Amino acid sequence: MKISQAGKMAVSAVLANKLRSFLTMLGIIIGVMAVTLLISLVQGATNTVTASLNDLGGDQLVVSVTGSSKHLTLSEVKAYADEEEIDVVSPVISGTGTAKAEGNSTSITISGITEAYEDVQGMDISDGRGISENDNDYRLKVCVIGYTVANDLFGTTNVVGETVRISGGDYRAVGVLEEAQETLMGSENSTVYVPITNAQRLLSQVAITSFYAVVNEACSTDTAENKLDSLLMDKFGDEDSYAIVNMADILETIDSVMATMELLLGAIAGISLLVGGIGIMNIMLVSVTERTKEIGIRKAIGAQKSDIVVQFMIESVVISLVGGVIGMLISQGILTTINTLYPDYGFTITAGVGGIALGFSALVGIVFGIYPANKAAKLKPIYALRHE
Amino acid sequence: MIELRDVKKIYQVGDEEVHALDGVSLMIQDREFVAIIGASGSGKSTLMNIIGCLDTADEGEYLIDGQEVSDLTEREQSILRNRKIGFIFQQFNLLPKLTAFENVELPLIYQGIASSERKERVTAALQEVGLGKRIDHRPNQLSGGQQQRVAVARALVTRPSLILADEPTGNLDSRSTNDIMDLLQKLHAEGNTLVVITHDNDIAAQAPRRVQLLDGRVVSDTAEAPMTGKGGAV
Repeated sequence: MKISQAGKMAVSAVLANKLRSFLTMLGIIIGVMAVTLLISLVQGATNTVTASLNDLGGDQLVVSVTGSSKHLTLSEVKAYADEEEIDVVSPVISGTGTAKAEGNSTSITISGITEAYEDVQGMDISDGRGISENDNDYRLKVCVIGYTVANDLFGTTNVVGETVRISGGDYRAVGVLEEAQETLMGSENSTVYVPITNAQRLLSQVAITSFYAVVNEACSTDTAENKLDSLLMDKFGDEDSYAIVNMADILETIDSVMATMELLLGAIAGISLLVGGIGIMNIMLVSVTERTKEIGIRKAIGAQKSDIVVQFMIESVVISLVGGVIGMLISQGILTTINTLYPDYGFTITAGVGGIALGFSALVGIVFGIYPANKAAKLKPIYALRHE
Repeated sequence: MIELRDVKKIYQVGDEEVHALDGVSLMIQDREFVAIIGASGSGKSTLMNIIGCLDTADEGEYLIDGQEVSDLTEREQSILRNRKIGFIFQQFNLLPKLTAFENVELPLIYQGIASSERKERVTAALQEVGLGKRIDHRPNQLSGGQQQRVAVARALVTRPSLILADEPTGNLDSRSTNDIMDLLQKLHAEGNTLVVITHDNDIAAQAPRRVQLLDGRVVSDTAEAPMTGKGGAV
């Protein structure tokens, strides 16, 4: 007997008992929904977190100096960029202060930066320019203003050219930032950026407390981290005086945590698929008992064992596969709804997840169809024919 | 041609052995029309199951067209049932969810015959039994007599060596009974081999050869000159 014939028979058997087939499918529908939804949600969240961390810099090392008798000077930090493993360094001094303009006053974070900051840490300038090399070399009193600060002081972001009084010094605004999202590192909305050489004066602080180093593309972050570690060790002579954070390490850690999470949730959801499969087996066994007479007739007119096995197997696979497809469609519908409500995430069922879910539901149909199908095929025709 | 040699079938009922068939020997030639008669419990159902390869003998030999059936695997027995035997049952045993056409088609599907040839043969078989216009009816839309005609069409569509009918008129009124018996006579006249199992002497009388069973043994085997009409002398 051809598979297409068996398929036709199976589909008509499934349709003959619509309600029962649907209720049987429900187990698979819920199982596949649980698997695809949970995994897709975790994947979406992972991608979002990873992407925002990548924005912070996946090829960067963040060094912070944590109290020591020795100081790291600006020129020493800049010299690290001469190392083969390191492309650029971006030192930062920060502190708090007050900004005044047009009779308004607001408390701000003062960040002293170099021209490297814009590329390394990233700045979204909506109007004007960033801090240039020239600004630092000549200690020009210029500043780049965060979104909230501009609004607090001037009531507008159209402030390029205006003068802001920062902790007693008059600074000319040369740039304004776009409104930023609150991030792990705080917000740049309430920050005012000034040349680092001026910040050293404003904050009465010469020592560099933190800097970013961008790793040379030709070399691994680990190598660069080791190099930097030995340089800082030479300088401080004490490994507790400084800390190097490797962004790639953080990304890897997050990735592996999320992968574990995905596996765990997938496995838990997989249990519901298993339960759905047992439901299929149960109904198929009932169906075999109900159709004993039919099986007897088929055998009497020449159906072989394999014909009966194929007929019942296809029936169970059809139920589980159709259930799987329905479950996927419902999941996709739910994800689309979530995406409309929260456009930042962009949840989708990836081809991989969809394939695994459908493959799994087909497998469930096969595994849980084997026993009932064999039971049907093994029935002796005389016994089956006498059955009423 | 089928041949049984000293066939025995023993059932265990509690501590007791029941000899359903106790040494039956029988030879049926091609183109014969044989009635097997016997009261209930005489072993005729067991004999029918063995002849139809639905069951195997405990002892003795059973050959269809020279092939010993007990040597065959389950799969080969299925193929043999499919190709060499056409069953007609008392209960019609049609599949209720299939149309007349699909019911008749089923044995050909199991033979793996292409759909164009199936269509031709099924249509021809249904016409042969006089149901050419009812091919799309389901069993519950047909009368008992019509259902049995569908079953006859299903039995002969494979052009079997043997058509095996088990009380074919047991569930039919007298008019349908006559129709079906006429049909069987016609099939016999066309050269089919027929074995009809019945407890009804009137039915048996229509067969040129009658084999009587009692307590699992053949007690009489009477043949007469081939007849063309029905309702011959007992």
